[in-house]
Amino acid sequence: MDEGALYRLLTWLSPSFPVGAFSYAHGLEWAVEAGLVRDERALVTWLGDLLENGTLGQDAILCARAHDAVEAEDAVGFAGLRALAAALPATAELLLETTAQGAAFARTCLAAWPDPRGRLALFFGEPEAAPPLVYPLAVGAVAAAHDIPLRPALAAFLQAVVANLVSAAVRLVPLGQTAGQRALAALEPAVGAAARRAEHAPIAALGGASLMVDWCSLSHETQYTRLFRS
Amino acid sequence: MLRTDLHDELSEPEADRTEPAHAAEPIRLQRARGFVELEVGVRAGASALLVHREAGCSKARFPKSLDPRLFEAVLINAAGGIAGGDRIEQRLRVRAGASLLASGQAAEKIYRSLGPEAHIETRLEVEPGGTLLWLPQETILFDGARLDRTLEVDLASEARFLLVEAVVLGRTARGERVRTGALRDRRVLRCEGELLLVDPFRLEGPIAELAERPALLGGARAFATLFALGPGTDEDRLQAVRGRLAQVPARAAAGLRGPVLVARLLAADGFALRRALASALEPLLPAFGLESGLPRVWRC
Repeated sequence: MDEGALYRLLTWLSPSFPVGAFSYAHGLEWAVEAGLVRDERALVTWLGDLLENGTLGQDAILCARAHDAVEAEDAVGFAGLRALAAALPATAELLLETTAQGAAFARTCLAAWPDPRGRLALFFGEPEAAPPLVYPLAVGAVAAAHDIPLRPALAAFLQAVVANLVSAAVRLVPLGQTAGQRALAALEPAVGAAARRAEHAPIAALGGASLMVDWCSLSHETQYTRLFRS
Repeated sequence: MLRTDLHDELSEPEADRTEPAHAAEPIRLQRARGFVELEVGVRAGASALLVHREAGCSKARFPKSLDPRLFEAVLINAAGGIAGGDRIEQRLRVRAGASLLASGQAAEKIYRSLGPEAHIETRLEVEPGGTLLWLPQETILFDGARLDRTLEVDLASEARFLLVEAVVLGRTARGERVRTGALRDRRVLRCEGELLLVDPFRLEGPIAELAERPALLGGARAFATLFALGPGTDEDRLQAVRGRLAQVPARAAAGLRGPVLVARLLAADGFALRRALASALEPLLPAFGLESGLPRVWRC
């Protein structure tokens, strides 16, 4: 991967890229309220399980298959994947989290970054149109359009998502900034493993067992005091 | 009863590879096959059975419904449980304006597998103005069970659909523990051909250990999903279901996912889960034409 590719990944997946990541917590706000995530160790376990057997591992597969579709210039395949991916989140807030960020990511990339082959707009159509574009699909597609290899794109995407949730936990639990960094350091192997698993995982491998995240997300809908939108 | 040797027909090469390596001859077990197809439509102003086909271990029986407008079917697995390599196929169609309540005679037990997975494939179809209540009893996974299950639901607009699917890890009342196994359980919900929800659950390997994980099953040994779609599954109904779920001995919550009311329930055992489900279902039933309350098989 050349410096240009690294520069783009670092930019697109940085916390300052305007997708509004800071307002989403993937059910963590309720998990903290319910006493399920009380400290750094519990946070690492929680996110590690989502990478290995839950929503985040599933997102990695979506990102990988979107990368394939754009690389192969398979617009029909991408459209099918888009409809499938938008049907996967089990709750309204998890859907909002991924589609709001997906649309913002696509819109910002199209507006600010010259598209090497000018075909991204074709894949995305209207980023806000139905079915909505989920975040991992937008990232996988943009990376492929810019000839950024899948593995680093997957690692960057997962790092961004995990770092955002760690940052949410730092505010919610609360944890110190150093504890947050220790959590990120501890999660590096799980992120790498999830990226490797997703690289060649077929669509049939989608799925997970993170029913507790769904429960947290549904419970968050009626949580009394909320900092986050999910 | 159609009991065929499916050893040569197993389409998944993976399943073949997992046959015990020590077996000098390929193990030729009797594997069950079941097929049932039902179609319910309106005859003389009431819901009536139009098509009934069954083969192998799958049967359907039709008790007289307590609600005259509702046709009731009870699905039966005459094999008494499901073992590795078994295949069950179920097709239910509800014609325009008709109502069908489909439940199971007993909890479906999935026994330890020597290698291959058991397959259950269900397709449900509801035409405009039709109503389908899909309320099978729990699926009980035994230690070492391997199940691959798919449920595909095609709804017309103006269809009403209520689903409850529950899984219990071991006969919890007897203190059984499921250490390992594989459960792949996909639910696909379409309306007018468009995907509404795809819900692929996957729990494989050291199930007991995974179930303890706070982000996965949070220690639950029994879990369920509820979907409700149709007129009357709006914000008011959601409030009623939420009110019930707040009282039950389980982690249980509900929300609206587009037009679908979705609830997830996680409980310590099968009994607590059933009580929670019964409580959550009650306020939903009238919108689906079930005035007499929960189906008999569901009463605790």
